[in-house]
Amino acid sequence: MTIKYLDKYPKNLAKSLWVLKPQWTVLKLFAKTVVHRPVTVLYPYEKEWVPENYRGRPGLIFDKCVGCGMCARMCPTACIKLVDAEDDNGKTVKRPQVNLGRCAMCGYCAEYCPVDAMTVTPEYELAEFTRFDLIYGPRRLNYEGTTEGMKVKLEVTLPSDIENGNPERRVSLFDLDRPELIDSKCIGCKKCAKVCPVNAIEMVEKGVNEKTGKPILRPVIDNGKCICCSNCVDDCPKDALEIKEVL
Amino acid sequence: MTDSIVPVKEIEEKMETDKMWIIMGPQHPFSHGLWTLKIKVDGEIVVDADPIVGYLHRGWEKETENRTYPKIIPMADRLCYAASMTYTHLYCMTVEKALGIDIPEKAKYIRIVADEVCRINSHLMWLAAVGTDLGNLTVFLWAMREREYFLDLNVKLCGARMTTNYPRIGGVRNDLTELFERDVIRTVDRFEKALWDIIALMDDSSIIVSRMKGISYISREQCANIGMTGPAMRGCGVDFDIRRDDPYDNYDKVDFEVPVLTAGDSYARYMIRIEEMFQSCDIIRQAVQKIQALGKNAPYRIKTPTKVPAGTHFMRMEDPRGESLMYLVSDGTDKPYRLKVRSPIFTNVSTSKVMCQGCRIADVPAILAQIDMCLGETDR
Repeated sequence: MTIKYLDKYPKNLAKSLWVLKPQWTVLKLFAKTVVHRPVTVLYPYEKEWVPENYRGRPGLIFDKCVGCGMCARMCPTACIKLVDAEDDNGKTVKRPQVNLGRCAMCGYCAEYCPVDAMTVTPEYELAEFTRFDLIYGPRRLNYEGTTEGMKVKLEVTLPSDIENGNPERRVSLFDLDRPELIDSKCIGCKKCAKVCPVNAIEMVEKGVNEKTGKPILRPVIDNGKCICCSNCVDDCPKDALEIKEVL
Repeated sequence: MTDSIVPVKEIEEKMETDKMWIIMGPQHPFSHGLWTLKIKVDGEIVVDADPIVGYLHRGWEKETENRTYPKIIPMADRLCYAASMTYTHLYCMTVEKALGIDIPEKAKYIRIVADEVCRINSHLMWLAAVGTDLGNLTVFLWAMREREYFLDLNVKLCGARMTTNYPRIGGVRNDLTELFERDVIRTVDRFEKALWDIIALMDDSSIIVSRMKGISYISREQCANIGMTGPAMRGCGVDFDIRRDDPYDNYDKVDFEVPVLTAGDSYARYMIRIEEMFQSCDIIRQAVQKIQALGKNAPYRIKTPTKVPAGTHFMRMEDPRGESLMYLVSDGTDKPYRLKVRSPIFTNVSTSKVMCQGCRIADVPAILAQIDMCLGETDR
């Protein structure tokens, strides 16, 4: 490649012409701006065009959300909290609440959401008078008019796929990783079945305890329903469940 | 006065001018950010200088020890607002080296495009600062106007203007958006023409040039000894660029020149950065061609394990301001044990004694503008 600027400069400047060349450059711009219209935008009345994937405040599609808490776990500023909310049938469910005073607009919640309920939205005018007003509850966070461009998807390729010579983009991380049971550690406490947001875990009887006469319960995971939010892994008191990463 | 006991004339002959410490900062028009420069003056001549940094210390390195690896990427953005892309890139490269993985070709070229856009961004920010330091407000406005087009490119690429949060461990966040290739080429073509106008304002004006030419000379040996890096070092005649001499990602597959000047003065350090902007435009054009050759459906992100094997790794890269380095000590968990950042400005600003010695007070802003201060990364 060629050197462009260092070939021409530094120049030996004539003392008598010390401001004329810059003045001439400015004059040219002046002549241009007289003819052309101004480039400034009168902000409150006109607004700049923002692209579809603009990262403004996080938005939530309330009906899609399953309340798994993946957004709260991934948030680098810990501004997302799961709170109780009422859904359309009057049932109490867990939904994210975002404190926009702390939100860094990094877009991780939209990226890691396993069901694409969290999105980024092009809303950027978020000024409020009090800090309390900045806390967006699940209903207020709801955003209508989500388009395809706003959804950020984790499109990853597995290293093993590349080695096989078949590089293919997979849409979600969570379709690949699955929790697995270590049978010797499990005590059958049913906690995993309770915390599962999509009811993918079912407790199944696997025989009878000879000493006490009580049935032995073991979780069975339905891989079709599982979104791999790792709630069961985190809450297991005996670390009997673990997520194996598919690589 | 005639009635005084001691004759005035005798006192004046015996009196020596005291050398005086002048404290510039932390709030001073010349310091872009919060830092202090103590200079010792003998009349008008500067004889000693002592920078004091640390007003912006926020415990960045300690904070990273409590976070999982992906959560550090948005934090690395906030090390320096002008060079956010290069710092996230550096962090991701360090972790990738620790994991021992190779990222897809497309991601490497996308990172090069993003890096060079960031480099032009940062240099335009510096040009605006130099303009105001030398008293040319038109340059400030024009450079900021050009920078806006490159910030729009960032929005188009990843949705954010400054804190981009774009590179990921194992690739990049999203694929190039629709028409991004077209837009980046158009912006670069337009920018090259506009930059010549700014050059005409700076280099063709003997007022501006005479404030930089022949001032604060540093020789090649001295520059290497005091540990200067980046464009300031290449202005003193040291021919070293990490992009060429220790290539990371795919910088060995693009063709570019490393500008080097032997003049060693303030003006040479200025000229290097202007030439680097032209070279960045060339690199962007080549990298976009390579991306188009790879096709639309090429993979751009590979899946990485959450736990990093125990060990120590470092990675360095050519930041817009010099050589930045990250040193990672991992202990086998999903959080780093220690993450050290070596900022290029921290070493560059410690050379201010060498740079300022022997010049006049009025030249101090013009000299220190050439190292492009950014306190976010210096104090961390």
